[in-house]
Amino acid sequence: MACSNLAITWASPKPSDHDHLSSRAFLAPSRLLFAPASASSPRPPRSTAVYCGLRELRDRIESVKNTQKITEAMKLVAAAKVRRAQEAVVSGRPFSESLVEVLYNINEQLQTEDVDVPLTRVRPVRKIALVVVTGDRGLCGGYNNYIIKKAEQRMAELSTLGIAYTVISVGKKGNTYFQRRPYIPVDRFLEAGNLPTTKEAQAIADDVFSLFVSEDVDKVELLYTKFVSLVKSDPVIHTLLPLSPKGEICDVNGVCVDAAEDELFRLTTKEGKLTVEREMVRTPTPSFSPILQFEQDPVQILDALLPLYLNSQILRALQESLASELAARMTAMSNATDNAVELKRNLSMVYNRQRQAKITGEILEIVAGAEALT
Amino acid sequence: MTLNLCVLTPNRIIWDSEVKEIILSTNSGQIGVLPNHAPIATAVDIGLLRIRLNNDQWLTAALMGGFARIGNNEITILGNDAEISTDINPQEAQQALEIAEANLSRAEGKRQAIEANLALRRARTRVEAVNVISY
Repeated sequence: MACSNLAITWASPKPSDHDHLSSRAFLAPSRLLFAPASASSPRPPRSTAVYCGLRELRDRIESVKNTQKITEAMKLVAAAKVRRAQEAVVSGRPFSESLVEVLYNINEQLQTEDVDVPLTRVRPVRKIALVVVTGDRGLCGGYNNYIIKKAEQRMAELSTLGIAYTVISVGKKGNTYFQRRPYIPVDRFLEAGNLPTTKEAQAIADDVFSLFVSEDVDKVELLYTKFVSLVKSDPVIHTLLPLSPKGEICDVNGVCVDAAEDELFRLTTKEGKLTVEREMVRTPTPSFSPILQFEQDPVQILDALLPLYLNSQILRALQESLASELAARMTAMSNATDNAVELKRNLSMVYNRQRQAKITGEILEIVAGAEALT
Repeated sequence: MTLNLCVLTPNRIIWDSEVKEIILSTNSGQIGVLPNHAPIATAVDIGLLRIRLNNDQWLTAALMGGFARIGNNEITILGNDAEISTDINPQEAQQALEIAEANLSRAEGKRQAIEANLALRRARTRVEAVNVISY
């Protein structure tokens, strides 16, 4: 198309700034729509615009208009889905609250005893399993690239430390990425689906559980995107196994947070409709009645509780990742819509100018012809 | 005295209302819980949860393991997943059981065997929940 080159020069003045976008194989005409909206005013149309025919311009305006409709719709869909993702987190809240309460109490009662649960056993680390949570679809800005980059960075770190690793990839985008790179050892490819449920979390939990218990790996790390707000999300690394029997959550640097605090901290990330409040609330942990009996060995009870805890951790990570993905898509689509509007305006201007020039030219011809006759 | 049963899973609340009696599969065998039960904490195995409603009808649910706390006429069951038998599709459950059995016979090594065993027990519980003899 004659005018696509010229359009690119207008609408994406700094293509190198957003390489994660332009590296994707979009069709040339639509590609420039997905670049972040630039604040700078559009450059005045260059003289090359003249080479573009009226009909081509008209077609192009029409196509931009259609793309704008699509991106607008995708943005609305993402917004609706973010709300659904929030509801999923809220409906899981009673469970997490009870779980933390129980775990906290049992820990207090077990503090004096020497417990040995397979899931909490800290072994010298020779091999690490990395669970990488990505999205199923593209068109969400740099969301998938950020988490994959984070995974690559972690893998490089582990290689320099001389620690072996294996990847458990969750989500279609990650799957295709790792499938294209056969030198990265991948244990399993999983898909998260549209709305993460316990089934998906269970599948991941089963996998890491058997890897860890059979001593194939000595540590399991979860890489996911933490949902901070609608415009901000962070790819984070979170140690999943070995669990600490005290219900603490440790990050890579070994900084531990008490579960009773952390649980609610994470849960409130999606509090509120479209704004995010982050508040640090401590779960009230009323102590058990002192006459409470344990039906089984305390170790067995902990054995039953910790997998539950593991599952709910994974589920939370999946939910946060999904919320981040949708938020990223919302932002990307909103930018694309803005760019489409801008492009449409510029093209219409050129179109109108050319039309006007053509009419003027015709009038001049008629007048000149009439004058020549008289 | 009434007994309050609350079954929670990470996804949603499965059950939250008064019941007359429940039978719970714990790691050390089935226990029946009536009102004014002594406070206990127990691990729950993958198995059936039978609930006697206030109208003396029995209801069965498949419980995928977890933890239960009983005390003060309140039962809280935290489960990985739970399904009331009426929500389970019998054909689908039966198929899942057959697949799980096939997977177990094909499993190689310790790790796959652990996974296949767990999957088989879950599938079997779901089939049992559908086919339970009502009394």
